[in-house]
Amino acid sequence: MNALEITNFTKKYGDLTAVDNISFSVKQGEFFGFLGKNGAGKTTTISAITGIGTITSGEIKVFGIDVEKEYREARKKIGLSPQEYNVDIFASVEDILTHVGGYFGLSKKERAVRMHDVLGIFELEEHKKKQFRQLSGGLKRRVMLARAMMHDPDLLILDEPTAGVDVELRHELWAYLKKINAAGKTIIFTSHYLEEVEELCERIAIIDKGKIIADAPKSDFTKDGGTLEKKYLELTKKKDS
Amino acid sequence: MNIIGLQTLVWQEIQRFLRVWIQALVSPWINALLYILIFGVVVGSRIDTIAGVSYIDFVLPGIVMMNVIGAAYMQGAFGLYFKRFARHIEEVLTAPFSYFELLLGFVTAGVVRGLLVGLGVYVIALFFTTATIAHLFLFIFYSVAVSLIFTFIGLLVGLWSDNFEQLSVLQTFVITPLTFLGGVFNSVSMLPEKAQMIAKLNPFFYFVDGLRYSMIGVREANVWVGFSLIVGLIVGFGGLTWYLFYKGWRLRS
Repeated sequence: MNALEITNFTKKYGDLTAVDNISFSVKQGEFFGFLGKNGAGKTTTISAITGIGTITSGEIKVFGIDVEKEYREARKKIGLSPQEYNVDIFASVEDILTHVGGYFGLSKKERAVRMHDVLGIFELEEHKKKQFRQLSGGLKRRVMLARAMMHDPDLLILDEPTAGVDVELRHELWAYLKKINAAGKTIIFTSHYLEEVEELCERIAIIDKGKIIADAPKSDFTKDGGTLEKKYLELTKKKDS
Repeated sequence: MNIIGLQTLVWQEIQRFLRVWIQALVSPWINALLYILIFGVVVGSRIDTIAGVSYIDFVLPGIVMMNVIGAAYMQGAFGLYFKRFARHIEEVLTAPFSYFELLLGFVTAGVVRGLLVGLGVYVIALFFTTATIAHLFLFIFYSVAVSLIFTFIGLLVGLWSDNFEQLSVLQTFVITPLTFLGGVFNSVSMLPEKAQMIAKLNPFFYFVDGLRYSMIGVREANVWVGFSLIVGLIVGFGGLTWYLFYKGWRLRS
């Protein structure tokens, strides 16, 4: 079964077509890289998958569940770490996590167990009483990841999760993501750091000006001995010219 | 139904307004205390009884209602707009809530805040007035029903607003004037005949009058007109708010 299946998805904002009739799928258990320049349509697509944005036309299914028609069931399957912080900045880390756990229907006991786990994984235990606004950039990013993992989703969508994160945490995060992916979690990953996409992802799609311009296994991008970055630049420049 | 989610959303909203407890609770209580002292005790001591009750007892229901309206409206408007402004509305949009559950969560928090403020004003009033409750069921009905209406209105404004200033526009130009003109401090029978007819077109008159009847047993409005109006406004504003939530208007991009 595919973890994600996007068919002829188009998103328009008035006269502007942000995403233009794209189709692609992500297999269950896959580590999938979704690349593109700023404004290419990555976040718009992610917003439509997760329910933050609406769909102008087309169909999006998560584990076979339509994200519009059966949106509640679909959302239970998804965990999102967004590009921009979207939390109550005055709430403590503990409250942010426990609220989201509650939204996803976890009982008090389940929330306590799960919160203990994610605070440990992302080394947030000593910061749990602090308000979000008091945290450093790296810690904020960790909270976003911890929040996405609170309900243990089957599909984890990470929209630039390492932006503003120091090298040490980045490497720890890579190790963690590899581990949970090996355990069966499907991950969709966007980043402007192509070396980490190369390190982590098995398959990569590139979106440019709202259209998918490449969708292939990572090895296809690097088979001529070059790097992913080189191929990415070639593809996006070719599209521009 | 996502019961745990709903409870969490309500509690999250309550925690949010309790974080600003001076603004959310103490400020309307002090406001009410000043009204009770100035209009009720100081001015009221020089005014004869109205409809057989002392002036302070006559104006108290209006003061309670005024503060219930303000609190419910503020909770709806600021609660939703703050979530949109800081983008953490996305936390609930990506969670498995139906749009009805989302609306129910926001509305419950608004009613809780309205009732907390109203109850506080009532307790303060016990020190200065007889603060009776003649019909407890009706007292609860009017308090909850008007809280519902103004939470819905607040949510609509919270959806529509593009900045914090716009949240206050309706309150400044519509809610406050209509409340003052809705018979909070006077009986409509004190007005000239034509003004009485105009006063009866003001929906706030029926809110105040209903609560006044439930507290002191004095009524000037037709009870069925008031009841129908209140139910109609709940259904109308509630339906419109649900529809806009369902369509994702200014909630989903």
